[in-house]
Amino acid sequence: MFKKLIEESTGKSPWLFHINAGSCNGCDIELVSVLTPRYDAERLGFKLAGSPRHADIVVVTGPVTNQSLPRVLRAISQVPEPRCIVTMGSCPQSGNVFRGSYSIAGPLSKYVHVDVDVAGCAPKPEAVIDGLALATQILQEKRREMK
Amino acid sequence: MDFPFVREAISQLFSKPSTAMYPVVPSEAADRYRGRIVYHPEKCINCGMCERVCSGNAITTVVEKTEEGDRITRTFNLGSCTFCATCMDFCHGAIEFSKDYHMVATKEEDLLVTGTHIKKPPVKKAVPPKPAAAPAAEAKAEEAPAAQIKPRDDGKPVQDASKCVYCTICARKCPAGALTVDRAAKTWTLDEDLCVGCGTCAESCPKKCIII
Repeated sequence: MFKKLIEESTGKSPWLFHINAGSCNGCDIELVSVLTPRYDAERLGFKLAGSPRHADIVVVTGPVTNQSLPRVLRAISQVPEPRCIVTMGSCPQSGNVFRGSYSIAGPLSKYVHVDVDVAGCAPKPEAVIDGLALATQILQEKRREMK
Repeated sequence: MDFPFVREAISQLFSKPSTAMYPVVPSEAADRYRGRIVYHPEKCINCGMCERVCSGNAITTVVEKTEEGDRITRTFNLGSCTFCATCMDFCHGAIEFSKDYHMVATKEEDLLVTGTHIKKPPVKKAVPPKPAAAPAAEAKAEEAPAAQIKPRDDGKPVQDASKCVYCTICARKCPAGALTVDRAAKTWTLDEDLCVGCGTCAESCPKKCIII
């Protein structure tokens, strides 16, 4: 019964870790606006964690520059399994307008498995909430599979 | 004794929270919001301007030769799109940005918008086309009725030889490569099979001598 309680409650408080991989700051502002009182993702249990070791969901913004790539991979490797990786905006999915640049190492899916893509440039806060809700479902499934 | 903010505190107690209850209460995007692309292949004239102006290289085109004509499949990758709507500005109504902002996907294929249309080969006319490539001497002879040049029915360009300076800008701007302009020989030739009727030549003409 205690295990069941943990399983149910973990789905209701997924903690986020936000990585900026060379973003133009547009997506970062939209992600912060999701946590403000206007959209208040914390009422759904999402909480921004300060350390990757506390996180369940990793939100990556930006086209993954050469400089940021080792840091991104290191931060993601520190997130405990099961984890869910969400790309926010067009940049981590394809490189967007930065595609083909000498300083871009992306897209992110070349290096890690990406679970959810939220498209938009920048995505609307409602779309981010949708994406995070989908990520939470995937996280729960992964957690069940691990048992 | 003065109590600051008491009025504010009491009014806040009875007012609605400012939080948008999003998943419960659906939210509509603002007017002219640029969300998911809607592509109308039946309106597309395949001028290729959308692909050329796209800054994110989000638009790709695949052309297959079939018996009915060229089968053109155009794909918009929303995962690479900046939603700048420049493609829509250049388009003749085939590209539209909807208010749909739910662009959440677990697979890359979910973010692709595709459309296919068949471009039929132009019907060959029995009558030879209008002598658009009139030599200079003939062009001068036609100078008097120059104002009477009428646009064609099929939306393809006509040259006003009296105003044309043969600068070759139209030939360079033509996305389909349908125009051949020879500055020395003073000829202006339109390849009707290649022309898609996009109007870029008429827009770029410095003398406004191309009528569409």
